[in-house]
Amino acid sequence: MFFHIVLERNMQLHPRHFGRNLRENLVSKLMKDVEGTCSGRHGFVVAITGIENIGKGLIRDGTGFVTFPVKYQCVVFRPFKGEILEAAVTMVNKAYDMEFQSGDIPNYTTSDGSVKIQKDCEVRLKIIGTRVDATEIV
Amino acid sequence: MSGEEEENASELKIGEEFLKAKCLMNCEVALILEHKYEQLQQTSEDPMNQVSQVFEKSLQYVKRFSRYKHADAVRQVREILSRYQLAEFEVRVCILDSALCVLGNLCPETVEEAIAMVPSIKTKGRAHDDDAIERMLNDLSLIKKFE
Repeated sequence: MFFHIVLERNMQLHPRHFGRNLRENLVSKLMKDVEGTCSGRHGFVVAITGIENIGKGLIRDGTGFVTFPVKYQCVVFRPFKGEILEAAVTMVNKAYDMEFQSGDIPNYTTSDGSVKIQKDCEVRLKIIGTRVDATEIV
Repeated sequence: MSGEEEENASELKIGEEFLKAKCLMNCEVALILEHKYEQLQQTSEDPMNQVSQVFEKSLQYVKRFSRYKHADAVRQVREILSRYQLAEFEVRVCILDSALCVLGNLCPETVEEAIAMVPSIKTKGRAHDDDAIERMLNDLSLIKKFE
């Protein structure tokens, strides 16, 4: 399911980005850093929709970098066990329950031939478990 | 993390931070992402290069699986769903939010279908009988018809 959620992140900013554009620099760096990322806890961060507040910056010892706590609103996609949703089939491979037909267009067909599932079909499914693959959205 | 094991969306058990968050229907996500994409188009020449793969695939997904396209219709759907739900149980608004989105996303046609998808609309509501659910589904299909 998609959620609109408020998240927080400590952003480190190089001093060369200070000045009147500090806020814009901070926000564009935030977008670059978090949009498209995935964590097991919050799921996929799809898009940042707004900034709630930017806290006071703290100069890091020895480096000159400044850390700003940023609260932002974003759209995340987080699947839950037991959730029902619709999906498009991208790949069909062998499993147990239904008849698997290999060949040019691999598909599942029920024994009476009334239902056929192949690539690009739309199916309604229930999530029985989730696994995080942080590098890819499937 | 103990919460991981107990998570179960069919019983509307989801993590604490998500209870505070607002659930979005696919059609609402489509509106948000399209708006953002339009903004990007104005500022850069090649917006497809600016967005992440997650953004791109999400946009494709919600466009494909949105039941309602127009902003007005989307707003009405949420209004109808929240009106029917809140009248019955005001306390657990946040949890209901996710039930609401499942109904808005999947658009069940019959009462049985709706109950199968979201058992909580039947069991947790004291007075949420089949008639009320039927009326709600009718209202929703009307929006779709007139969109």
